[in-house]
Amino acid sequence: MSDVEAPVLRDLQSAATSHRGDRIFNRTIAAAAFTALIVLAGITVFLGAQAIPVLQEQGLSFLTTSVWNPPDYGIWGMLYGSVLLAAIALVIAVPVSLLLSVFMVFLAPRPVAAVLTNLVDLMAAIPSVIIGLWAFYVLAPVSEGWQQLMNQYLGWIPIFANNSGNFSGTPFTAGFVLAIMMIPIVTSVTREVLGRTPPELINASEALGCSLWTMLRYVALPYGRGGLVGGVMLGLGRALGETIAVFFVLKIVFDPVNYYNIIESGGGSVATLIVSKFGEASGPYETQLLLAAGFFLNMMTLIVNVIANLIVNRTGRLQS
Amino acid sequence: MSTIVFDPSALPALAEQKPQTPWGRRTSRFRIAVVLAVVIPAIVVAALFAFSEIPGAVIMVAIYFPLQILAAVAAAIAVRGTKAAGDSVIIVSAIGATIFSGVVLVSLLWSIITKGLQAMSVAFIFQNNEYISPSTPLGYGGIGHAILGTILIVAISALIAVPLGVMTALYITEVRGRAVPYVRFFVQAMSGVPSVVAGLFILTVLILSGALNNSAFAAGLAYAILMLPTVARTAEEVLKLVPDDLRTGALALGSTRARVALRVVVPAAKTGIITAAILGIARVVGETAPLLLTALKNDKTVLNPFSDPISALPTYIFTNVAQPYPDAVLRAWGAALALMVLVAVLFTVTRVLSAKRPGQ
Repeated sequence: MSDVEAPVLRDLQSAATSHRGDRIFNRTIAAAAFTALIVLAGITVFLGAQAIPVLQEQGLSFLTTSVWNPPDYGIWGMLYGSVLLAAIALVIAVPVSLLLSVFMVFLAPRPVAAVLTNLVDLMAAIPSVIIGLWAFYVLAPVSEGWQQLMNQYLGWIPIFANNSGNFSGTPFTAGFVLAIMMIPIVTSVTREVLGRTPPELINASEALGCSLWTMLRYVALPYGRGGLVGGVMLGLGRALGETIAVFFVLKIVFDPVNYYNIIESGGGSVATLIVSKFGEASGPYETQLLLAAGFFLNMMTLIVNVIANLIVNRTGRLQS
Repeated sequence: MSTIVFDPSALPALAEQKPQTPWGRRTSRFRIAVVLAVVIPAIVVAALFAFSEIPGAVIMVAIYFPLQILAAVAAAIAVRGTKAAGDSVIIVSAIGATIFSGVVLVSLLWSIITKGLQAMSVAFIFQNNEYISPSTPLGYGGIGHAILGTILIVAISALIAVPLGVMTALYITEVRGRAVPYVRFFVQAMSGVPSVVAGLFILTVLILSGALNNSAFAAGLAYAILMLPTVARTAEEVLKLVPDDLRTGALALGSTRARVALRVVVPAAKTGIITAAILGIARVVGETAPLLLTALKNDKTVLNPFSDPISALPTYIFTNVAQPYPDAVLRAWGAALALMVLVAVLFTVTRVLSAKRPGQ
């Protein structure tokens, strides 16, 4: 719809609101449109209400220590673990997604690109519990082998150190699974952003003798920078909130916090903590602790997601 | 005597000639270089696989990939000069990334299908799990109760989220009030709510307060939170595709705004709205975390959406993963296949529907 037509309709609308049926219609629709706001506010208020008594009882150490031993509770290790997993996922998923979308937009013949688009969307539609099942039985055993090799050849780099000899339930495997879930989400945005590079800019750069590399470096990437960053952050929001796929491949460890040994068994994730502790919650207080953890998880993903959407919206509307 | 005008259509040979692109011409030198750049690394790697003790993963990552890039760079320099070297790196990496994603997708689908089919049988689809323990052999029990549970929960959430989502979209495209940017912003923010948080929200507000049991209805509400943003955003896109001529035409004939929206715009975008609903369903159908918090699990068949805990396909998979009994694990794969078939059907329907444009 072009911008020229909108004001015309707006005038018609202002003329029509004198009609009583229309006023009722407009109010009903407007009320329904605020469901999103009400739900978001409800989540913040009700989970926040559970977080306040927890913070009063545990103090700030609920956020700064890493322990799950009555009567002391702290989720620092889980918060940090979520970020670490997301970082591993980003390192794997961003280059793959960017290259995949470069292939789809600039290299592949149109029919191939159309098939790839559908396959990427299909990959995005696979439920996370199925990816978790696959990761537990198919990926994790293979990944253990990869990690042993990494440790063998690159063990002198601190992040690839492993002293326990146990390569199962590592942040690397969990991050890899998250990367697989991020790739289709990020790719669908980056593909659209790269596809919107104005053809006249591409043609002009080709006429000036630019190679594909130069065109990407000086035309397509700078032109779509905002959308690319936003797409990556949307994927990041998903990775921070993902629960079930991580549940199957990560061993939750509170103490000591695994800061950087990504191929050492044990790590943390807030979302996974909630599901894994909920079933064995010993009473209302422990449930309340999990609700408080959910509050902080929601705040974290909400902030990432809002920033992502602001960036994406600034560069033109896109579907996520 | 008329002026002679150059008319390419008068010269059939010229009219049929395709545009010349000398820069894209494939010389035989180019073809040979590409073939060599593909074949030589492949031969080297095949030889390493056959005659050396180096682990396969190391060969692929540390030898094949760098070697393939080097070969492509060498071929590019030989044919097109040093400036083409960067291009060849990008092309090889892009193809590599595509193959990587393809391998992951194929591995996923292959394991779901092959392992899922081992569990499939008529009994598996229709029976429930009432008298089944994890060690029971595969011939008995199945996912009938979980399929019913998924249908029940998804239907409840669709009944709530689809009308609200479409109304949200109508606000943006038809009512066009002052709050449009805010509504859009909140819908986007809502799409980022983690599924586990949606479950916690319903848990604390409705279940812990005693308003609802652990039931299909509670799970449906949690699903609705996740479904609403998808429906609203997709419905907004399709309502926007309805030509403004239809709106102005109906208004000119004396319709009220409400009638334009409900009798003209929504029917014109009918298939699009169905697509939006199906996309919303596909978004939530595999979500597990909200179910674990709100619906719990139940091995019996439950039909009352308010009374009892209920199992759905995702929770059924969840409880059977990591069981020490191979048959229980196969049940999980079987349920995964059923869920994947459901998702694939929904996916295909949206593709077929959205191939048609609304308003036609």
